Amino acid sequence: MDDTSFLRIQGLRKSYEDVDALRGVDLSLARGDFLCLFGPNGAGKTTLIKIVADLLKPTSGTVEISGGQNLDGGIRSRIGLISHQTLLYDELTAMENLQFYSSIYKIPDPEDKIDSLLHTVGLHNRRDERVSTFSAGMQQRLSIARALINDPVLLLLDEPYSGLDQFAATVLSNHLKELHARHRTIIMVTHNLTRGLETANRIGILSEGRLVYLKDRAEIDLRSFEDHYFTHMEAV
Amino acid sequence: MGLSLVILRKDLLIEIRRKDSVISMIFFGILLLFVMSMAIGIGRKVDPELASGILWISILFSSVLGLGRTFSLEKTNRCIDGLLISPVPPSSVFVAKTSVNFFFMLISEAVIIPVFFALHGDNITIGLAPLLATVLLLNLGFASVGTLFSGITAATRRNEVLLPLLLFPVITPLIAFTVKATGEIFAGVPFGEYSAWLRLMAAFGLIFSCAGYLLFDYVMKEN
Amino acid sequence: MKDGFIDRFLVVISTALMLTAIYTIFFYAPTEIMMGIVQKIFYFHLPMAFMAFLSYFVAFVCGVLYLIKKDIKWDIIGSASVEIGVVFTTLVLITGSLWARPIWNTWWTWDPRLTTSFILWLIYVAYLILRASVEQVDRRATFCAVMAIVGFIDVPIVFLSARLWRTIHPVVIKSRSIDIEPAMLTTLAISMAAFLLFWLTLLRIRSRVDFTELRIRNLEKIRRGGM
Repeated sequence: MDDTSFLRIQGLRKSYEDVDALRGVDLSLARGDFLCLFGPNGAGKTTLIKIVADLLKPTSGTVEISGGQNLDGGIRSRIGLISHQTLLYDELTAMENLQFYSSIYKIPDPEDKIDSLLHTVGLHNRRDERVSTFSAGMQQRLSIARALINDPVLLLLDEPYSGLDQFAATVLSNHLKELHARHRTIIMVTHNLTRGLETANRIGILSEGRLVYLKDRAEIDLRSFEDHYFTHMEAV
Repeated sequence: MGLSLVILRKDLLIEIRRKDSVISMIFFGILLLFVMSMAIGIGRKVDPELASGILWISILFSSVLGLGRTFSLEKTNRCIDGLLISPVPPSSVFVAKTSVNFFFMLISEAVIIPVFFALHGDNITIGLAPLLATVLLLNLGFASVGTLFSGITAATRRNEVLLPLLLFPVITPLIAFTVKATGEIFAGVPFGEYSAWLRLMAAFGLIFSCAGYLLFDYVMKEN
Repeated sequence: MKDGFIDRFLVVISTALMLTAIYTIFFYAPTEIMMGIVQKIFYFHLPMAFMAFLSYFVAFVCGVLYLIKKDIKWDIIGSASVEIGVVFTTLVLITGSLWARPIWNTWWTWDPRLTTSFILWLIYVAYLILRASVEQVDRRATFCAVMAIVGFIDVPIVFLSARLWRTIHPVVIKSRSIDIEPAMLTTLAISMAAFLLFWLTLLRIRSRVDFTELRIRNLEKIRRGGM
């Protein structure tokens, strides 16, 4: 574990009344790492994302981001979250949603930023329509724009591909590649093997609350990884 | 403060588009006025204190309808996660939501009170300035406690049912102060004789807005 | 098993003390001239009111401690305390009513203390309803802590409002001050001590049930999941 690590998770546990979601996860990511986490349902993936996002308190263990605990020191304003929920207000237009999020992040002169984001997610021509009139795929694309509004240095994605149409999925993949190229740190939880393996540089498997597999993408032989993956999927 | 204003503006915009909270508050308030007029016997002249009770029961019960919505709208699409991961402190959310509830009540009162005067205004002195003061102070206390509890009930499976059960016992002193003050206003008593009630209402509002401001942090993170 | 021993010890002592108190109340304390035998209810009523108040205070302190420390222990003790408080408040209302019937000639008056007890009863019954409506343990603990704090902040305001409400009204029924004779005072002191110990015993036993439940749940989890 080197001092240059951007995100460091140590001995992370989370217990609920009837189940232990995480049973001691240790993980260290360097700045610019893109970690893709696979794992069966109930493995604790969402719990892990939520704890890193500080939406959930761990039972024990620590998460340090950029050397600080509890998301202090301005790092909180540079975290992005994409989940299967859009975090968008149905009654507001695409534009108003992005304006709202840029004002709570106190982004100076957000207009250009919003404009270009709407262009890249292909919603510029519908920017003044209410989100409730959008299809699920369009809402997800807008959600991507929302998560990128504060130019996150740490992006957390929880099953972002579920419910995405082909176009939205491509938009997302391209964004992720671009962010990765710009050395943003990314953690993505997904069931989509192809998308995950195609974009990430580190691959992990979470099973029964433990990180049972963690390798650099470059070291992974696809065949043996799939064996690994299916063994863990079937074990549950 | 700036962040609270941003959230306040957003909530008002949403309400302008949906209109459901304020309209149901107004409608239910008028409905209650009517039901209670029937209950005491239509056409009966009411004395100032009874009139005050009728007015405030209508307003308080109808206001609960709006309370539940202001917080639970953040739970649609998990917008609340967007606030929680952002640098917005929960206390700013509390200030924003309390103000939203405050305004919604003010709007519905602006309709309910004139209707009340039309129905029961005969025996009553209309002291506009002191009545306005009473309204503002009641709204402060009610919205503070109500916002705190709406944060709690939004995270339970019995949201709308639970809110009045938690809220009304705690605000009984506020209701007592308000009904007393308004009764005296309606009776045309000079200001000096009931100003103590208004001071107590202000104290209640201050105590519970501070308590809510401090406690909302814990409540919001459980949602 | 040291806890078990302390509990048993407490049960024995508080039973003995309670029996002593009952004996003192009925055979030692003189019968009040004006009110007669009914006055003896006062030796139960007052200590129970006091214990109810103590319960809510303990719940308030536990609530604050829970929010600071996030240790489930404080939730368990706090909620046990509220449960006991509600039982005692109910008994206070009933005994008060029983006393008021012959003395004030009515089951209920809006006497400030009575009104306060009634509103407190409402607040803390609401607490119990809230408690039953949340399943997730951490969430329930946080919400209950907040409710216990808010409820307790409300106590002095409730009392003040009940008193002011009355004093402005014409006073129809004046509560007669009870002349306390030394023997009566001794009786009251014994009764107070008995109830205090009884309260402590109840609190310990009630919270131990929850502690045990917590341990069982953890054991079950280990058995199911294999830690």
